Amino acid sequence: MAKVTLFPQACKGMEDCGICALVCPQHLFTSSGEMNEAGYVPTRLTEPEECTGCQSCMLSCPDMAIVVVKEKGEEAS
Amino acid sequence: MSLAEHPLRKYTRPHVKKTTTCPGCGNGIVAQAILWAIDELNREEGLSMDDFVFVSGIGCSAWIPSPLFAADTLHTTHGRPIAFATGVKLGLPRQKVLVASGDGDLAAIGGNHLIHAARRNIDLTVVMVNNGIYGMTGGQTAPTTPRGLNTITSPYGTMEPEFNVAAMVAAAGAPYVARWTTYHPRQLKRAIKKGIQKQGFSFIEAISQCPVQYGRVSKLGRATAILEHFRDHSLKLAKAREMSEEELAGKITVGEFCDRQAPELASQWSELRARLGKEQG
Amino acid sequence: MKAAVRLKPGTHFIEGNLALAEGAIAAGCRFMAGYPITPASEIPNRLSQLLPTVGGVFLQTEDEIAAICSAIGASWAGLKAMTATSGPGVSLMQENIGLAASTETPLVIVDVMRFGPSTGVPSVGLAGDVVQVARGSHGDYQIIALCPESPQEMYDHMIRAFNLAERFRCPVFVLPDGFIGHMREQVVIPPDQEIELAQRKIAPAGTTPLERQDFLDPEVAPMPVFGRGRQAHVTSSCHNGQGMRNLTDPEVMHAFATMPIEKILRHRDQIVEVAADYAPGDVVIVAYGTVARSARAAAQAARAQGLAVGTLCLKTLWPFADQEVAAAAQQARAVLVLENNTGQMLPYIKAEAAAHCPVQFLGPRLLGQIHEPNAVLTRVKEMMS
Ligand SMILES: Cc1ncc(C[n+]2csc(CCOP(=O)(O)OP(=O)(O)O)c2C)c(N)n1
Ligand code: SF4
Ligand code: SF4
Ligand code: SF4
Ligand SMILES: [Mg+2]
Repeated sequence: MAKVTLFPQACKGMEDCGICALVCPQHLFTSSGEMNEAGYVPTRLTEPEECTGCQSCMLSCPDMAIVVVKEKGEEAS
Repeated sequence: MSLAEHPLRKYTRPHVKKTTTCPGCGNGIVAQAILWAIDELNREEGLSMDDFVFVSGIGCSAWIPSPLFAADTLHTTHGRPIAFATGVKLGLPRQKVLVASGDGDLAAIGGNHLIHAARRNIDLTVVMVNNGIYGMTGGQTAPTTPRGLNTITSPYGTMEPEFNVAAMVAAAGAPYVARWTTYHPRQLKRAIKKGIQKQGFSFIEAISQCPVQYGRVSKLGRATAILEHFRDHSLKLAKAREMSEEELAGKITVGEFCDRQAPELASQWSELRARLGKEQG
Repeated sequence: MKAAVRLKPGTHFIEGNLALAEGAIAAGCRFMAGYPITPASEIPNRLSQLLPTVGGVFLQTEDEIAAICSAIGASWAGLKAMTATSGPGVSLMQENIGLAASTETPLVIVDVMRFGPSTGVPSVGLAGDVVQVARGSHGDYQIIALCPESPQEMYDHMIRAFNLAERFRCPVFVLPDGFIGHMREQVVIPPDQEIELAQRKIAPAGTTPLERQDFLDPEVAPMPVFGRGRQAHVTSSCHNGQGMRNLTDPEVMHAFATMPIEKILRHRDQIVEVAADYAPGDVVIVAYGTVARSARAAAQAARAQGLAVGTLCLKTLWPFADQEVAAAAQQARAVLVLENNTGQMLPYIKAEAAAHCPVQFLGPRLLGQIHEPNAVLTRVKEMMS
């Protein structure tokens, strides 16, 4: 298990970017359907409990809008 | 970018609250790869941002460190960052000097500085963002644009072959050269880290997506489509070396082009000064 | 090779370029980057020997663009840095001369001027670059330019050039022509302790750019030199006083363009130097560089014949000695401008002098040859009749 934090105000949108959705091996990202202040529609996590903590989404998000913290004992990759 | 709790936030200027890149631009992935590499070096070797000087040229990619990175940053003229960085490094041999800039910047207008810095083997880490296009000026042909692509300045299709920059830099004498794509952020980070640790000229080519300009002219469109292209066409160097030129057409060879030792310029200057009994300055 | 040694204090008979190299070391220069070119090559040749012996670095670059860029980089690294070239090299450097001016980088650029345009005649001197050093880069900016007329001044001007660069955080040119570069004359080298050296002010430790003014201060901001944890933000783009890029605010754009100019012009009295030797009613010969020698010889010959002739020799070309030229013209019967070119400084001199007295121009009979004092005398007599 891992804790995924999204910063919707930093996200440039599922439609325009959507990289997290591409790289997540668990296919956990979907559109939140709500526009942020910058006018983008950010992503949200469908089933956070399915997250493996692989951090692919964090490393691939161009806008540093995702933080994945692994459970204690696990090292960042 | 609200980096409120982002672990890399400690490496960025507090007042810089958002990036200026287009949605899905690979520059943000490369910026992160650099900062994650530094984060590891911070934990393993105690390096901090104060140990770095970041130098960039002109273009979208040249904005990677400037103003984001909380360190000495020097944003220069188009094509010249390596020349500036050479002076910085010779003046401050103990600093880590990292250049981040675009393919047009480093391989077209600045190509000669790149060749000679590799030949001189000065201890710089150069991260070249290769998005195959001139992003900032609106989608013109770069020396890295694949042949046949219709760009804004090659409306009938480019007639020139694309530049294998990493191979050229390796041939010019650089001790460490690697190429990865933004689909490979972990490998990219490791290569940058290795480049920073290497005492000598290191060149990391980051094949990256420019969804706005390259996406438009290539008709690949979205960032994710370009990343899928990277994923499906990347080929490890070891494998590529066994393949014919025809088989390699359209492939992106990734991996380490070289990793070797060679006499480095700034340290040779320190040795000369020591021989002549003089401290720097 | 064995460690080269600097010339000892005392009197030497040496060529201008070598005097200049000695002056650079005495001034504290610790980084030079250059690319060989006649008639400046003796400068990199000599500094490549001397710099490592004083803890400095010499870099032969792949071209003059790399030379100026690496010198700017070394300056930000905290070293007194220079490059030396001739006209074709200055042409290549132009874009980054503008960068040095707008990033407020201390830098000394030596241009040993040759006969141009284009490749021209490498070994023949000509004052061909006097305007291009001031106006050759795009946009509005201000540099300082000194104009030596003897090997002694090659030495002295280098010390002054580094001091001015450090004091005003700007590019400073030293502009001899090939004649002075290769001329041998007596040069007196003082002991180091008698030489006054300026050092740049450095931004306070423990601060970040938003807590400081690093740029655009008309009184010259302390420099956030690299490698000291200052987190300097330096950009060639339009920036504010903290160095932060701003491409939208017209107020910032205005300050970005004008403050680095104001910074120098406000202190012009500390910079501008002339050698004035004239009396009211004289025909005043205005000249600079090598030609100043002809001007003085002609004035001396004229005075020997009882003619009222004086000289105004410009030691600094930029900022332009507008007040000094106007003051001379106010008292003069006429002004005669001598230049070894087709009249590059003439419009600037006329702009100050023409309202007060007649102004004439005299080039050498053959461009690239130094004015015959007799020819100058003949013209002076014509002007008097
Ligand atoms: C001397 C000069 N020529 C041209 C330009 C215009 N220019 C700005 S960025 C750029 C191309 C940038 O392309 P690249 O280096 O690939 O960076 P990208 O924007 O793709 O990241 C050009 C030609 C300039 N700034 N200076
Ligand atoms: S990768 Fe980042 S910016 Fe892109 S859609 Fe996902 S969260 Fe948003
Ligand atoms: S950490 Fe991995 S599994 Fe979890 S959301 Fe991100 S990409 Fe998906
Ligand atoms: S134009 Fe291309 S390279 Fe430039 S910021 Fe936009 S997506 Fe990135
Ligand atoms: Mg590009």
